[in-house]
Amino acid sequence: MLANGKGAIRIEHVDKVYDAAGAPVQAISDCSLDIRAGEICMIVGPSGCGKTTLLNAVAGFHDITGGSIWLDDEMLCGPGKPQAQPGPDRVVVFQNGALFPWKTNLENVAFGPVVQGRMSKAAAREKARELMAMAGLSGTENSYPGEISSGVRRRVEIVRALMNDPKVLLLDEPFRALDSLTKSVMHEALLEIYYKNKVTIFFITHDLEEAIFLGQRVAIMTTRPCKPKKVLDVDIPHPRDYSVLTSRRFRELMEETVHAVHEEAVKAFEAGEKEM
Amino acid sequence: MSAAAPAAALATGRTRGREGSALARRVRRAVVSVVVFVLLWELGSRLKWPWVGDAPPPSAVLKVWLPLLTDPGYWYSWYQSSRRVLTGFLFAQLIGIPLGLAMATNRVFNDLTFPVFEVLRPIPPLAWVPAAIIFWPTQESSIAFVTFLGAFFVVVINVLGGAKSIDVRYFQSAYSMGATKWDVFRRIILPATLPSIFVGAAVGMGITWEVVVAAEMISGGGGAIQSSAGGGLGFFIWNSYIGFSYPQIVVGMISIGIAGYISSSIIRAVGVVCTPWLRTR
Amino acid sequence: MDLIVQSLAGESVREHVIALLRSTAPFAALSDKLLGRIAVIATLERVPRGEVIYQVGDPAKDLYVVASGQVRHALGPGAQATVLVKVVGRGDVIGWAALLKDRSRRLAKTTALEESELLKIRGDQLMEVLGDDPVAAQEVLERCAKMIIEDFTVPAWLAQVQVLPTGKAAAGTRAGGASNIRGLALFMHRISKWLQGPTPYLMVVGFALFFGAWYLLSEVFHLWRFASIPGPHQVLIEWLNPNPVYGLSVYSSEYYIHIWSSIRRILIGFTIATAVGVPVGLFLGWSRTFREYVFPVFETLRPIPVLAWVPLAIVMFKSGAETPVIFLATLASFYATALNTMLGVESIDEAYPRAAACLGASKWQIFRHVVIPGALPYIFTGLQISVGVAWFSLVAAEMVSGEYGLGYVINTSYVNVRYPTIVIGMITLGIVGYVTSALVRMAGDYMMQWRVRELALGGRE
Repeated sequence: MLANGKGAIRIEHVDKVYDAAGAPVQAISDCSLDIRAGEICMIVGPSGCGKTTLLNAVAGFHDITGGSIWLDDEMLCGPGKPQAQPGPDRVVVFQNGALFPWKTNLENVAFGPVVQGRMSKAAAREKARELMAMAGLSGTENSYPGEISSGVRRRVEIVRALMNDPKVLLLDEPFRALDSLTKSVMHEALLEIYYKNKVTIFFITHDLEEAIFLGQRVAIMTTRPCKPKKVLDVDIPHPRDYSVLTSRRFRELMEETVHAVHEEAVKAFEAGEKEM
Repeated sequence: MSAAAPAAALATGRTRGREGSALARRVRRAVVSVVVFVLLWELGSRLKWPWVGDAPPPSAVLKVWLPLLTDPGYWYSWYQSSRRVLTGFLFAQLIGIPLGLAMATNRVFNDLTFPVFEVLRPIPPLAWVPAAIIFWPTQESSIAFVTFLGAFFVVVINVLGGAKSIDVRYFQSAYSMGATKWDVFRRIILPATLPSIFVGAAVGMGITWEVVVAAEMISGGGGAIQSSAGGGLGFFIWNSYIGFSYPQIVVGMISIGIAGYISSSIIRAVGVVCTPWLRTR
Repeated sequence: MDLIVQSLAGESVREHVIALLRSTAPFAALSDKLLGRIAVIATLERVPRGEVIYQVGDPAKDLYVVASGQVRHALGPGAQATVLVKVVGRGDVIGWAALLKDRSRRLAKTTALEESELLKIRGDQLMEVLGDDPVAAQEVLERCAKMIIEDFTVPAWLAQVQVLPTGKAAAGTRAGGASNIRGLALFMHRISKWLQGPTPYLMVVGFALFFGAWYLLSEVFHLWRFASIPGPHQVLIEWLNPNPVYGLSVYSSEYYIHIWSSIRRILIGFTIATAVGVPVGLFLGWSRTFREYVFPVFETLRPIPVLAWVPLAIVMFKSGAETPVIFLATLASFYATALNTMLGVESIDEAYPRAAACLGASKWQIFRHVVIPGALPYIFTGLQISVGVAWFSLVAAEMVSGEYGLGYVINTSYVNVRYPTIVIGMITLGIVGYVTSALVRMAGDYMMQWRVRELALGGRE
């Protein structure tokens, strides 16, 4: 179901070695993952395990040292082209939010089409206003991001991404800084947006509950170097709502995976200790 | 492709090479830029470019500088200026740090003194020179006073800002563990303010050099302080100017630059030692 | 309280209320339409003689307009007012505390001196109505603020400095009005808080102590070395003297010539330094190649104190005393501006350029939409420092070589033993220096509304 959108991402044998600090760090090693068009794929792993590195490679923020990444039939990066070109087909929603604080929310949302030269300023604003109204953000258009609550800010940022009609949304722990109540509201808001747009979602998190609640598939990553340890099919049908959290199937899936995640968390913790 | 193989390969040669090359590139570019700058200066000076044309070429500067290195008079100027800088600087710290801490910790004292302080602060330190000469009995003490003023305001503002921006949770956790007011002052306020104290010291040191040089120059040129104030690098520059030995002006400028650089490096080094928790791993 | 409440359904009563509002200072300038909407949320109450309308410390919910009769308005002991007790009548507005942000309390006790009619308006409802027309609301709140300031011992400069920029912003961006109103209400709240604390009085005491000590030491007791320095009284007399003994006072044209020459030099130096320093700083921060090639030269020259350049500057620019002096001010400004701008670019969270890139912005668009605005806070910090150091260097340069200007005044006054003039020069420098840096700060606030508003909210998160 829902697999009618474009935007399948194929990650093939990707390697990434950092060598900035003098000693090389293998962040990603031989990582392969297929994300189908129009699915929500959740990437779970402890903090610092290298999953953000993987996202950055897909987005084109830095290079990879081996393997290749494909978006549909287009090679984003791979042999002969170490770094992908960032572009509006793969928009990122950042961990701590990256709404430009010096632009109003409306200007932020209208930013993409204007800089791409796809729309006039007026037309972009008109569309931005529409999208914001649909997301229940009317009334915040002329405020600056610093003036609205962090939950609302995250919603504005997701709308800003959708303005570009992307093939893939790359979400990097977008709800990390939110309290759990706001988070639950955001989850339903995200699903609502997803049901309307059917965009492929590549969602990074360290919260297993979030992963299983949102995802059609959950990839649990090993810690540094990062590669899929286990890929879980979440066979709870969409559309979902919060009653899923108390369902038996949800608890079974949690039980099935919590051990694997915990194991990696301990490894990451110990690795962190050693680094100090 | 196995995970371990490339990592091992990278651990040896390539990474070190790349890391080293980044540093090497920076150094190479720095050398290139400074060398080009000096060459342009030499060229401009010789070809009489407008503006640059009247500054002496680096070769002439070097020719004048080398014999000076064995001249005790030259080194005495270094000593004189450094002594003045140190005096003013130390007084500014001795008075400024306690004052800033008192303003930060005592509301009433702050309300009483801060407005007066803010009114005096915009007056540039050198504007105090004549008033200082009238007030203080010796010229040496008036130079010391103006030097002190130069650093004083910066020191107080930094200490005050540092002490006021301490996270209130530190106090709360200290009190919850049974600390007394004195404990909090000594173990929280003092160390937490230390980084700002060093920032203030570094900025203050820079200003102190500016002020000393100007005061010495005014003593030679402007007439406010009679030339008996004696020596110092600022006076050295002014004297060279009066005596038309232009290369020597540049020697003086570079010397002050070096002296200023050394003093701020010392402060930075002391700061690093005193605030080990700020070191990044 | 036993109030007679009258509903405002009838059209004639409504007209009556609008006319009443029109006669008050804060609401005089509003449109009939808006006054009509206010009339809807207002209720008219009759208060018998001797009735206490509200007490000090009561929660402040409503604003009152006196329609008839007389009300005694006595400020409580906490409030530091110029006049503690006053009697208000028709057209006067009382109870403005209801407009303040947060739940505030009454500062005064009000009693009806005779049977009176009061128009009662809920503060929060009023703010809501005003929120729909930000420009008009701004007007109302500014007039309220003025009224409050007249009641209290708020220094006028404080009120002006703070209120004006927000006022302009509201006129410029109509849409931003609603939050400006909140900001102004917050400001009013702060004034009332400030006046209730000891701060303003300690400030006065501090100045009194400073000037008192100076006066006593130098002019009364002639103690020690203080005998030789001019006292505050002597300086003031000379400064304001139509026939100055030493030739310089606010009445002499020469005084303004000196001020203008200094300001002109600062203006030229600061403008050049900003025009060159900001772009250089932006590129230093933005391009690694540029930084690696240019920054070493910058770092080599920077330890040389600007004032050590004086003689060389005279040698380099032979065209009189003017160019070297301006050159020094420019040089000092340039370092501060370029360095802070560079730090500003480096301080930008890397998520911002990345976000712009994945939204499809080109390199140049990222520079324009992300790098420049992102660095603005640092740029303005730099500009503020830059004016300061420009004055610092200018004074020294003018003292050594110069033909006019405040530094020159100070130095020649010393040489010619015109001691009070030295102090006049110093004070003038302080004032002019303060004003220029305040102007830079205001320009910064004007250009960074997003930041002003963020800070006004007290930095959420």
